Amino acid sequence: MNADANPKPLPTWRYLMGMARSARWLYPLHGVLWGVINLSALLPGPIARAFFDTLTGEAHPPAGTTGLIVLLMAIAVGQAVLWLIAGFVEIVFRFTTSGTLRRNLLRHVLNRPGAQGLPSSVGDTISRFRDDSLQAEDGLDWTDEIAGQGLFAVVAFVVLLRIDARMTLVAILPLVVVTAAARRASTALGRYRAASSQATSQVTGSIGDILAAVQTVQAAGAEARTVAHFRRLNERRRATMLVDRLVTQALDAITANTVSIGTGLIMLLAAGGLRDGSMTVGDFVLFVAYLGIIADFTAGLGRFLAHYGQTGVAFARMDVLLGGAPPAALVAPTPLHLRGPLPTVPPAPIATDRLVLVEAQGLTYRHPRSGRGVAAVDLRLPRGTLTVVTGRVGAGKTTLLRVLLGLLPREAGEIRWNGQVVADAAAFLVPPRAAYTAQVPRLFSETLKQNILLGHPDDPAALAGAVRVAVLERDVETLAAGLETPVGTRGVMLSGGQVQRAAAARMLVRGAELLVIDDLSSALDVETERLLWERLFAGGDVTCLAVSHRRAALRRADHIVVLNEGRVEAQGTLDYLLANCAEMRSLWHDADVAVGSV
Amino acid sequence: MVLLAVLLCGAIGGQVLAPLVASRFIDRAIAGGALGDLTVLALLTMGLALAGQVVAVAETYVAEQVSWTATNALRADLVAHLLRLDATFHTAHTPGELIERVDGDVAALARFFSRFVVSVLGNGVLMVGVLGLLLVVDWRVGLGLSVFVAMALIAMLRIRAIATPAWAAERQASADFYGFLGEYLAGLEDIRSSGAGAFVLRRCAEVMRSWLAATRKAQMRGYALVASSQGLFGLGTAAALALSAMLFEDGTLTIGTVYLIFRYTEMLRQPTEQIRNEVQDLQQADASLGRVEALLGTAPRLADGPGTALPPGPLSLELDDVSFGYAADAPVLRGVRLGLAPGRVLGVVGRTGSGKTTLTRLLARFYDPSAGVVRLGGVDLRTVRLEAVRARIGLVTQEIHLFDASVRDNLTLFDDGVPDDRINAVLDTLGLAGWRQALPRGLDTPLGAGGAGLSAGQAQVLAFARVFLRDPDLVILDEASSRLDPATERLVQTALGRLLDGRTAVVVAHRLATVAYADDILVLEDGRVREHGPRLALAADPASRFARLLRVATDEVAT
Repeated sequence: MNADANPKPLPTWRYLMGMARSARWLYPLHGVLWGVINLSALLPGPIARAFFDTLTGEAHPPAGTTGLIVLLMAIAVGQAVLWLIAGFVEIVFRFTTSGTLRRNLLRHVLNRPGAQGLPSSVGDTISRFRDDSLQAEDGLDWTDEIAGQGLFAVVAFVVLLRIDARMTLVAILPLVVVTAAARRASTALGRYRAASSQATSQVTGSIGDILAAVQTVQAAGAEARTVAHFRRLNERRRATMLVDRLVTQALDAITANTVSIGTGLIMLLAAGGLRDGSMTVGDFVLFVAYLGIIADFTAGLGRFLAHYGQTGVAFARMDVLLGGAPPAALVAPTPLHLRGPLPTVPPAPIATDRLVLVEAQGLTYRHPRSGRGVAAVDLRLPRGTLTVVTGRVGAGKTTLLRVLLGLLPREAGEIRWNGQVVADAAAFLVPPRAAYTAQVPRLFSETLKQNILLGHPDDPAALAGAVRVAVLERDVETLAAGLETPVGTRGVMLSGGQVQRAAAARMLVRGAELLVIDDLSSALDVETERLLWERLFAGGDVTCLAVSHRRAALRRADHIVVLNEGRVEAQGTLDYLLANCAEMRSLWHDADVAVGSV
Repeated sequence: MVLLAVLLCGAIGGQVLAPLVASRFIDRAIAGGALGDLTVLALLTMGLALAGQVVAVAETYVAEQVSWTATNALRADLVAHLLRLDATFHTAHTPGELIERVDGDVAALARFFSRFVVSVLGNGVLMVGVLGLLLVVDWRVGLGLSVFVAMALIAMLRIRAIATPAWAAERQASADFYGFLGEYLAGLEDIRSSGAGAFVLRRCAEVMRSWLAATRKAQMRGYALVASSQGLFGLGTAAALALSAMLFEDGTLTIGTVYLIFRYTEMLRQPTEQIRNEVQDLQQADASLGRVEALLGTAPRLADGPGTALPPGPLSLELDDVSFGYAADAPVLRGVRLGLAPGRVLGVVGRTGSGKTTLTRLLARFYDPSAGVVRLGGVDLRTVRLEAVRARIGLVTQEIHLFDASVRDNLTLFDDGVPDDRINAVLDTLGLAGWRQALPRGLDTPLGAGGAGLSAGQAQVLAFARVFLRDPDLVILDEASSRLDPATERLVQTALGRLLDGRTAVVVAHRLATVAYADDILVLEDGRVREHGPRLALAADPASRFARLLRVATDEVAT
C-alpha cells in the first residue's frame, strides 16, 4: 500500500485537454476572441496591396486611397476594443485553469495519509503549486493561439498559392524543417527543464526551511553559514537555468533562421516576377506581409513544441503530489467558487454508529526511509475505557496511533468498528467517530476560535465545554481578545502548553466517540495535566487511546500496551505489568527514581 | 556590458537595414536592373537575419548571466536580512509568504532585468534609428511620425504610473495565497484527523477570490496599455499612408520610398510593442522592487549593541526588575528579579503560560525587556553585539526544526569545520549509536524534509546533539526533553550532567525529574517570581511552593 507508487503520468496533450474541459466555455470563447484579433491582423495586408496598386494605377477601388485609409483607421479602433474584451477573458481564463490545477492539487494533498508527509519540503511543494501550474497555464493558453495562428497561416498560404504557386511551396519548406528540429530537441529540453525546476525547488524549499527555523539559526549564530548554504543552492539554480534558457533560445534561433532563409529564397524568386511584370508591387507587398504571418506561425510552432515538452515535465512534477489518485484527477473539473456564496463546510454527519468496541489486529507499518515502525500490533478498545500505549523513544508509539487512524498507510492488519471491518481507516476514523491530538500539534494564522473549530459548527456551549475540559479557560481570559485573539504564525503567540491544550480543545469540540491522544503531557505541568485527565473522565463514558509516560495516565488506564522496537512487549493492567514486565518496571521506575531524588 | 552593447548594435543595424535593402530591391526590379545585383540584395537580407539570430543567442547568454547573478545576490541578501530580523517580524509573516517575497518578487525583477537592457534600450535605439532614416527619406513624414511616437510613449508612461500600485496589490495577494498554502501544507496531520479538509478548501476559495480580484485589476490596466498602443499605431499607419499618398501624387516620392515609409511605420510598431511589454514588466518590477525595498528596509526591533565584551568563562546571570509583554497591554513577565552565579544550574518551574519560555527568550535576547535590565556576566545585554551573545549561548527548545540537508549539516548547522569523529562521539553519547550506524550514507545521508522518518523524541535528541557540538558558556534548555520517555531522558540527563559541568545553565521543565540536578530553583507564577532559592533549601522547607509541588509528584507515586 505505497501511496507514492503513482500510476504513469498521461501524455501532455491529455492533461491539456482536461484543463480545457475544466475551463468550460472560457476556452472556446478565449480561442474565438484571440482568433478574431489574429484575423484582424490579416486585414491591413490586402488593404495595403490595394493602396499600392491604386497609387501605381493598377487598381481603382471605389473610394480611392482615402476610402482605404478610413478603413484602416476603423480597423485600428476595432482592434483596440477587441483587445480590452479579449484581455478580460484571458485574465479570467488563465486564472481559472491554473486555479483548477492548484485546487485539485490541494484537494489531493489533503487526502494523502496526513502523517506521511509531503514527498518534498513545504517550500519545494509550493514551487510545484506555483511554477509548474503556471507552466501548464501558459501551455494551454498557447494551444488556441497556435491553432488560430495555424489557421490563418493556412488562409495566407491559400491566398499566396493563388498569386504564385511555386514561390508558396518554397515558403512551406521551413515549416517542415522547424517541426523536425523541435521534435528532436524536445527530449534534451525536457531534461534541462527538469534539472532547472529541481534546482528552483531546492531554493524555495531551502528558503522555507531557513525561515521556519529562524530561531534555531539565530540562537546558534549560524546566520552566515546558513546564507552560504543558500548561496550554493542559488548557484546551482543559476547554472541549470542558464543552460535551460540557452538551449531554448538556441532552438528558437534555429527556427527563426530557417524561416528567414525561406524569406530570402522567396525574394530571389520574386525578383524575376517583378522584373517581367508577372507580379505587381502590390502583390509583392502582400507576399511579404503574408509570408510574415506564415513565418510567425512557423517560428511560433517551434517555440510551442519546445514549451510543450517542458510542460510535460511540469505535469510530471505535479503528478507526484497527487498521491495514489489517477493522473487525470489533476485536471478534473472542480468548482473554484470565485464568485457567489462561498461553499458551506458540510456539517459533520451525526454518528449513527455508536462505538461499542474498536479492534485492530496485526497492524504493521515500516517507515520507508528508516525501516522502523510497528509490526503485528493488536489493540482492543471497548467503550468507556482508557488504553495507554507506552514505551521508549522510537518504540513506535506515535506510528501505531497514526496507522490506526489511517494517517499512515498500513501494510498489513485489520481494523474493526463494532465488529465491522473498516476498509479505509483514513476516511472512517475521523470526527464524529474519532478525533486526535497530535504529539506536535499545528495551529494556523487564524483566531484561536477558528483554530479550535476548523470549520466545525460554532456552538458556543460546546466550544465553552471543550475549552474547559482542555483547561484552557483561564488562558482565554488573559488573552487580549479572548477566543477571537489571532494566534500568529504556527500559533507562536501562545505558549507551548497553550498550543497543546488548544489542540486538545480542537479534538474535544468535535464530540467524537473515540479520542486518540498522543503525549498530551509533553508541554503541560503536572497539575494542569492531572486536571485535564480529571475533567476528561468526569463525564464518564469516554473511550480513549493515549500515548503517555506519565503516572497520572498510567494509573488511570484500564489497559496498558508496552511497545518495544515496534512490537508489543507486554500488555495488561498496571499492577500486572509492574509484576511481570521488566520494560514497564524500567519506564515506571525511572520516573520514580528521578522524582524521588529531588 | 560592452560586449552586450556591441551585440545589440549589430542586431539593431540588421533590423534597420533590411527594409532599406528591400526598398532598393523593388525600385531596381521595376526598373529592370540586373538580376545579379538582386541576388546579392536577397542574400544580404538572409545574411542579416542570420547574424541577428546569432546575436540573439549571445545576447540571451549575457543577459541571463547578468540577471541571475544579480538577482541571486539579491535573494541571498534578502535571506540574510530576514535572518537578522527578530521574532516580532517572524511571528507576523509565514514562511510561505516570505518564500513568495524572496523568490517570487525577485523573479519578477529577474524577468525585467534580463530583458530590460536588451528590449528597452535596444528598441529605443531601433526606434530612433528608424525615425532618423525616415527624417532623411522625407522630413515631413519623419517629423509627423516622431511626434506620434512621442505621444504614444507618454501615454504608456502615464498608464504605468496608475498600474504600479495595482501590481503591488497583486504581488501581495499572491504572497498571501502561498502563505496560506505553506501553513496548511505543514499541518496536514491535524487537518486530516480533525476532518477539516472542507474548511481548508473553503479558505482556499476565499484567498483565491481576493487574488483574482487583485490580478484582474492589475492586468486590465496592462491591457488598457496594449489596446491604446495598438489603436494609436493603427491610426499612425493610416496617417503615414495618407501623407505619402499625397506626396507620391505630387511626384515627390517614388513608389519604392512609399513602400519604405510603410515598412518603417510598421517597424515602429514592433519596438513600441516590445517597449510596451517591458513597461508592463516594469510595472510588475516596480511593484516588486517596492516590496523588496520594504523588506530590506524593515529594521530589526532589536538594535545591535555597540560591542561591550562579555567576560570569558561561565557567565553569571542577572535579571533586574524585568518586565515584558508581547503586546503592550498583556504583560507576561512582571518585575522579575533574579541572580545566578557562574557555573550554577537554575531550574525554572511553573504552570503552563507562567512566562518560563519568555524568560529564556529574553536571556538569548530574542526580545528586549520593556522595563528593567538583563545582564550576562554583569554586562547589560543591549550593549553586547548580538553575534557575541549568541556565540556564548546554547539553546534547545520544544520546537525542533530540521533542514532538508545532510545529517552532518543538520547537526553542525552547515559548519564544515566540525570533525566527523566528534559528531559520531556526541551521537553515541546520546544513545543514537544504533541510529547512526544504520544511516545508509553515514553523516552524508540526507535527513529529508521535516526530518522524515525521525520520531519527535529522536528529533529532540538531535537538537541536544547540536548544543553538545558547540562550546557554550550558558546553556538554556526549554522543555528540551519533554518528548523523551523516562529511560531515554535519563540517558540524556547523564550526558547533560557532563556537558553542564563548569557552565551556567537554565533548565525549564514541567517534570520535576528534569530539574533534579539544578542548584537553584525558580518558581514562576503569572509572570512573577513566586519563589527563588537553593533547591535543597526549598525542598526542605515544607511551607515552600516547590516542596508542595514535590509532594504532588511524590503523592502520586505513593498512592
